[in-house]
Amino acid sequence: MTGLPLVTLVTFLPAIGALVVAATPTSRPNLARYVALGFALAAWIVSLVLLAGFSPAGPAFQYEESVAWIPAFGINYAVGVDGLAIVLVVLTTTLTWISILASFSPIQHRVKEYMVSFLVLEVGMTGVFVARDLFLFYIFWEIVLVPMYLIIGIWGGKNRIYATIKFVLYTLVGSLLMLVAILATAFTYQNAHPGDWTNAFDVASLTTAGAAGMFGGTFGFLAFGAFFLAFAIKVPMFPFHTWLPDAHVEAPTAGSVILAGVLLKLGGYGFIRFALPLFPEAAHTWAPAIIVLSLIAIIYGAIVALVQPDLKKLVAYSSVSHMGFVTLGIFVFQEQGMQGAILQMVNHGLITGALFLLVGVIYERTHDRTIAKMGGLGKAVPVYAAALGFFVFASVGLPGLSGFVGEFLTLLGTFVASPAAAVVATFVMIFAAGYLLWMLQRVAFGELSDFLKGLGSHLTDMKPVEALTLVPLGVLVVVFGLWPGLILDLVSGSVGAALAPVQAFAESAGPIALGLWR
Amino acid sequence: MTFNDIVSLAPFIAAVLLSAAILVVDIVFPGRRGPALVTTFLGLGLVAVLVAITGQTASTAFGGAYKVDDLTTFLDLLFIAIVALTMAFAPDYLEERGLPVPEFAATIVFAMSGAMLLAASGDLLVLFLGLELMVLPGYVLAGYHKTDGYSTEGAVKYFLLGSFSSAIFLFGLAFMWGLTGTTNIDGVREALGSMPLSPGLGMGLAMLTTGVAFKIAAVPFHYWTPDAYQGSPTPVTGYLSVGPKVGAFALIIRLFGQGLVDLAIDWNAVIMILAALTMTLGNLVALTQDNVKRMLAYSSIAHTGYMLVGLAAFGAGQIRGMEGLLYYGAAYAFMNLGAFAVIAALQRRAGVTSNLSTFAGLVRREPVLTWLMFLFLLSLTGIPPTAGFYGKFLIIVAAVDAGGVNSWLYVLAVLTVVNAAIAAFYYLRVAVYMFMRDPADEAATGMRHGGLVWTGLGVSTVMTLALGLFPGLLLGLVGSAAAAVLLLQ
Repeated sequence: MTGLPLVTLVTFLPAIGALVVAATPTSRPNLARYVALGFALAAWIVSLVLLAGFSPAGPAFQYEESVAWIPAFGINYAVGVDGLAIVLVVLTTTLTWISILASFSPIQHRVKEYMVSFLVLEVGMTGVFVARDLFLFYIFWEIVLVPMYLIIGIWGGKNRIYATIKFVLYTLVGSLLMLVAILATAFTYQNAHPGDWTNAFDVASLTTAGAAGMFGGTFGFLAFGAFFLAFAIKVPMFPFHTWLPDAHVEAPTAGSVILAGVLLKLGGYGFIRFALPLFPEAAHTWAPAIIVLSLIAIIYGAIVALVQPDLKKLVAYSSVSHMGFVTLGIFVFQEQGMQGAILQMVNHGLITGALFLLVGVIYERTHDRTIAKMGGLGKAVPVYAAALGFFVFASVGLPGLSGFVGEFLTLLGTFVASPAAAVVATFVMIFAAGYLLWMLQRVAFGELSDFLKGLGSHLTDMKPVEALTLVPLGVLVVVFGLWPGLILDLVSGSVGAALAPVQAFAESAGPIALGLWR
Repeated sequence: MTFNDIVSLAPFIAAVLLSAAILVVDIVFPGRRGPALVTTFLGLGLVAVLVAITGQTASTAFGGAYKVDDLTTFLDLLFIAIVALTMAFAPDYLEERGLPVPEFAATIVFAMSGAMLLAASGDLLVLFLGLELMVLPGYVLAGYHKTDGYSTEGAVKYFLLGSFSSAIFLFGLAFMWGLTGTTNIDGVREALGSMPLSPGLGMGLAMLTTGVAFKIAAVPFHYWTPDAYQGSPTPVTGYLSVGPKVGAFALIIRLFGQGLVDLAIDWNAVIMILAALTMTLGNLVALTQDNVKRMLAYSSIAHTGYMLVGLAAFGAGQIRGMEGLLYYGAAYAFMNLGAFAVIAALQRRAGVTSNLSTFAGLVRREPVLTWLMFLFLLSLTGIPPTAGFYGKFLIIVAAVDAGGVNSWLYVLAVLTVVNAAIAAFYYLRVAVYMFMRDPADEAATGMRHGGLVWTGLGVSTVMTLALGLFPGLLLGLVGSAAAAVLLLQ
């Protein structure tokens, strides 16, 4: 182990990159592009070094760093990674460089500002995953908002301003209420240790206290509610999802990739890392409602996706459905369920990220995303159609590809807790096959449509750069499909730690009260 | 009067002399800004040094009528910073409109001396004297652009409502004197200690509250603010939105935080209602504004509301509420002055309005100013890691903490964050215009801004970031200032 503060490095390398990019002359957009890509790749390499040095058998949290920051409140700059965090950090750094590379050709104006925004975004996302201090976590959580606001608002589509303001306001309401809950939690901790602020924001201490039942009763119920709202908006769960289709449709391609790939995961991560361990009792109380909402999200997302005329909107609503599996898997409180949820988070990041990239590729050529105008892409652009087919099948959950394992494990866990819920969720997977395969059929098969014919030579097949952005995602989809253990071994410790308090509580209070659902 | 009295009073005397000195310099070098500005900044530096020196030891002068403690020191330094920043970005704006710079400097330093007297007062009459010395130059400044109808209109409204409220406030002070027989603040506190709420006391409290509510522009006593702010020359608006506001809070701290602190149970409910109304209405009305100056005027009402939440937490017995209030005051001063500095810089050429359309596509004409404005707007919204976020954090901490005493403060804490989300909408609307709209007039290219403006902007930027990233820098000062509030001398 080297003495380098690797976690700090991976978090703030993009920040340095943002400063360097900001210093490049506006007249040389290519310089900004390559510098940004360089820093994103550097952060990616550091994250891989972290991953290589991480030992699943070792202590839960490794590479821990801690420096006193605001001693008056016991707030520290404390970072560290466990198996779950490292997986998500690597997902973030991977998708970031892919997104930056995928932006080279679509983004042609104000390139420098775009790259700065993207790198700052990476700082926020990585920071959320590595923060070991609740205050620090909140700071990173909020930092994410600003660059995303600019990315959608400046480089987005026609309705971008409406979409970006909706995105910011939804997220801000949730996160500000979470701030109150964070403070109230810290106070409860501080009151139990009279007058002493030490560790009041320290995640490890708070988690221990939470497991011991310190944040229970009405207080826990309300505080969990505030955390839930913040995370549920981010995931997004039904009925807090309405910002997502707008944001996805208006965002530039790379913005959609990051939004689906990482931003939505912040919510799932928050549930696993904070909501469950801190408030086991409240989580237990809330679980039936959350499971029902997850099922609604799974069904509703699938049905709405079925009737979308717009390619990007279809993928966006499929996100709502897929993320429903994540919250379902988390809140059945079973090991397999949560492992499935984490796999699903990673897979959804890879697969939906790739689907958004593919939508971006076709949009760049046609300047249109209407499914009805497409048709016969398989004949005109066979490589593209094959790639689309591959990721569509991955998204449907074809065994052998990664999407399958996540959903399978989630359903397995759900079945133990509530067979009825598992049955409902399983049937919905048929819808998923329906809307995705129907889309593929309409877009890729048949005769070339008149609209596409009209494009003539503009309709070219995949360029090498575009392929370069998709290949790593495709490889990972196959690898994780065949060896899900690669991820499961890493995260099993985190899963156990996150579930232990709530399972212990369930043992004394009985299984979650699903009523008729059981 | 002893020599020690003079020593304690030295910063105040220096401030008054500085104001006179600027006028003398203007007589020697008529109409030239250079010598007057040099005098102003050197003088302000000297006053700051004197404040720092006299602030080393707590002392009182003139039989307790004038107090020097950590609170005085903190507030004095803040006032000096506010005036210095205003003087950094005012000259360019004023000169372009043919308004004299030296007289402006002299007037604003006079106002500063009033605020300093206010911060140090240990006597009801000195309190009133300081208040009037602070606000009278404010009326003059609001009408400084005397050929501009709006400026004059705003000044007249400001003056009429201001003097009206001063009279009400003075009446309230008379009640306090009548009930306690003393004008010394500590004396008032002792005499009131065990007094039940009588009709006379109730009347007195009601009048005092009304009077200060006017001064800090709390809803429903805020009607003068938008017109006065929109009509005034932009640098004056910047000053008015922070200087007299922090000054009026100094008055509240000395009067309610010290003299009437034992009656907190009687006045705190009113403060809480005022806080809720002020932040909510201020924000809701700000949503509909198309003029950025007017929008910031309403938003300044909302910020008053946040600071009142701190006061309410203090009233419920949380010293942290006072810390939050003071920290927020400092944070608000730097970020709001920064925002006004940008507007003033954009309006340098006479005739440029402060409408939202001025900001359309600004990032292409003035990239640096735009990004700085964005930072100040984020800070005003309360997004980390900026000063505004940490200020709100401290206030919410205090409110949540005090919620254990009075559970309505939990409600106030939640209301504060809901308001922060509402505020995000209109602050970000400016950002939408700056970044995401096309400029109405392509021909308008960037202007040159003087070094003084850039210095002022630089200081605001550094402070906005530093107070957000390293709050420890100011927490010690704020902590001892807040502790001084509760000390009896």
